[in-house]
Amino acid sequence: MHRAADSIESPGRRGFFVRLIQGTYAVIGATLAFVVGGAVVAPSFGRRQTMWLHAGDADALEEGTPLPITLRVARPDGPSEVVDRKIVYLVKMGNEVRALDSTCTHLGCRTRFNPDTHQIECPCHGGVYDVTGNVIGGPPPAPLRAMTTRVDAGKVMVQV
Amino acid sequence: MKALFDWIDSRTSYRWLLHHLLYEELPTGTAWLFTTGSIVTLLILCQFVTGLGLTMYYVPSPRLAFDSVRFIMSDLPLGWMLRGLHYWGASFLVVATVVHMLRVFFLGSYKAPRELTWLSGLTMLLVILGFSLSGYLLPWDQKAYWATTVTINIARGTPLIGDAMANVLRGGVDLGALTLGRWYSAHVFLLPATLVLFIVVHIALMRKHGISGPIERQAGPSILFYPWHLIKDTVMMGAVFASLITAAALFPAHLDEIANPIDASYIPRPEWYFLSLFQMLKYFPGPLEPVATMVLPGLAIGFLAALPFVDRSGDRHPLRGPRRMFTAMMAVLGIGVVALTAIGMADRPPHKDRNDWGLLPIAGMQIATGEGNACVRCHENGGPAAPLAITRLSKDNEWLLSHMADPLIIAPGVRNPKDPSPPPVMSRFKAQAAVAYLKRVHAGDPLPTNVTDTVKLAAQTYAETCVVCHRISGEGGIVGPDLTLVGRRRAEKEIHSFIEDPEAMMGEPSVMPAFGKRLKPEQIDALATYLASRK
Repeated sequence: MHRAADSIESPGRRGFFVRLIQGTYAVIGATLAFVVGGAVVAPSFGRRQTMWLHAGDADALEEGTPLPITLRVARPDGPSEVVDRKIVYLVKMGNEVRALDSTCTHLGCRTRFNPDTHQIECPCHGGVYDVTGNVIGGPPPAPLRAMTTRVDAGKVMVQV
Repeated sequence: MKALFDWIDSRTSYRWLLHHLLYEELPTGTAWLFTTGSIVTLLILCQFVTGLGLTMYYVPSPRLAFDSVRFIMSDLPLGWMLRGLHYWGASFLVVATVVHMLRVFFLGSYKAPRELTWLSGLTMLLVILGFSLSGYLLPWDQKAYWATTVTINIARGTPLIGDAMANVLRGGVDLGALTLGRWYSAHVFLLPATLVLFIVVHIALMRKHGISGPIERQAGPSILFYPWHLIKDTVMMGAVFASLITAAALFPAHLDEIANPIDASYIPRPEWYFLSLFQMLKYFPGPLEPVATMVLPGLAIGFLAALPFVDRSGDRHPLRGPRRMFTAMMAVLGIGVVALTAIGMADRPPHKDRNDWGLLPIAGMQIATGEGNACVRCHENGGPAAPLAITRLSKDNEWLLSHMADPLIIAPGVRNPKDPSPPPVMSRFKAQAAVAYLKRVHAGDPLPTNVTDTVKLAAQTYAETCVVCHRISGEGGIVGPDLTLVGRRRAEKEIHSFIEDPEAMMGEPSVMPAFGKRLKPEQIDALATYLASRK
């Protein structure tokens, strides 16, 4: 009977075996968890790659008047690929060119520039921004997002 | 804490179950030979877990299946290991299952009252082979596509119902999206559910009748499963798992080029455990084919299934009394399978070498990535199309070729006489080269090193002229001889004079035109140098 088997073997040996069994399963389990878990979780922490795109020429911009530009951003989407469209305002202020994301900071609607009032307006809930993106009316909690820009030999490059 | 477990136990009696599972009494002498079932269990568990990870990324559609596997292999952190474990796990599992079956056979463990345990095990072996067969198609590369074509054609050879069966397997008359969908569903839902059911039955039956133990009952106290036998199981499981990890790490699973239904020159080969069946086909041509595809495998399975019912003597020793006959039959079966597999392995058809790029893809590389390439006009950051590095090959060959000649069209044949196509941006020859290059890159083949100017010139010349008739490393026409190893047959000088004027050199009429006047001398020089180096 099993009582016999247990008493033949020393308790120390039994304890060692139990620990060895537990240890082996722990190692196998941890290895599988690392590979499978790692592959499952890894993309969650991936950062979107940034790139510089040519948005327009500095000479073509009118001082203080936002010019909406459509940027095409091709990016991998898992095993597939997508081309996003992003509309940015290029605003020339003296020597500097700013690029503003046209997405309203309130609830994500697309804003538009109104040449009559010389303001950027959101059609959804009446948010109003000035040409530098600062909120001058309505519910938006923050100014329009300014994007990193640089001017290379007259070409306005925007980082997306 | 103890109070919590007490409460759970009072509601579930889990301690009783655990005790029942762990403190099984095994006959004296139950030792290492009885660890084979645990190994199979571990490998099935591994396949479930790694398969679960893979399903999160795999897309069962011809448009994306290949790219999703490519994504797993090259973009997903640890993805190559995940697929490697699943890929190698499949082979390990087939071996472990067969070893387990042989152990049960040789120790006569299948005998009454364990007939149904044996039959449930045999069913699981077939289910596992079904997993292998269905899993083979999923990556949707050349190997997957053509091996599955063969499998389905074998099913079509069944008398009377063959065509209907092939149509059911394909989900129609063509191998395509519908086939992939149903094989995927079988691989991840139907077969796993069946396997789990049979595992439960198998283990329940095993517990009901107890472990058969050594052939001759030995005197002495029984052995407690935990920990005295489990330690042996665990050591074996640990060793097998370590080997699996090593295999997956050292020999990563690879991916062929994307499935190309037009390329009928691809010679498919099944995975090694089906190689014996594949090889047998060669000995039963034409109307005899069903003998190899149905009759002999059917007899083998029938023999195994009938075994516990015909071998009714009480003696479990494989080399004593009436059992000798069954042992001999098993040996014939085993030797047959091993011999056919060995012949099949030796009979390896020439295959496209991942490291040997031939000339066509090299020409394509210059076209697609070289200076002044036309692709980058659109395929760039901010352009109308994604950069080539992230563009997926989701379209078929015909589309790709048409698109390269006339980038504005999005489907072949959309131009009509009123809207004639503009002069092609790229000749069809160049487009073929570019497609060959893209397929290589997308299959993850390592980029060729030291492509000299001579090789570049040879590649351009080949891609515009020679490719029509001659094949190098799996790409090109088959009208003329394959030039993959031409350097072994001819020296540089001979090749040079042959290209210039084959008739003058051979002194007899030749199908091949003289290229002495059509090509520039430096082109012929480059070709001769390159071809002579192919040994």
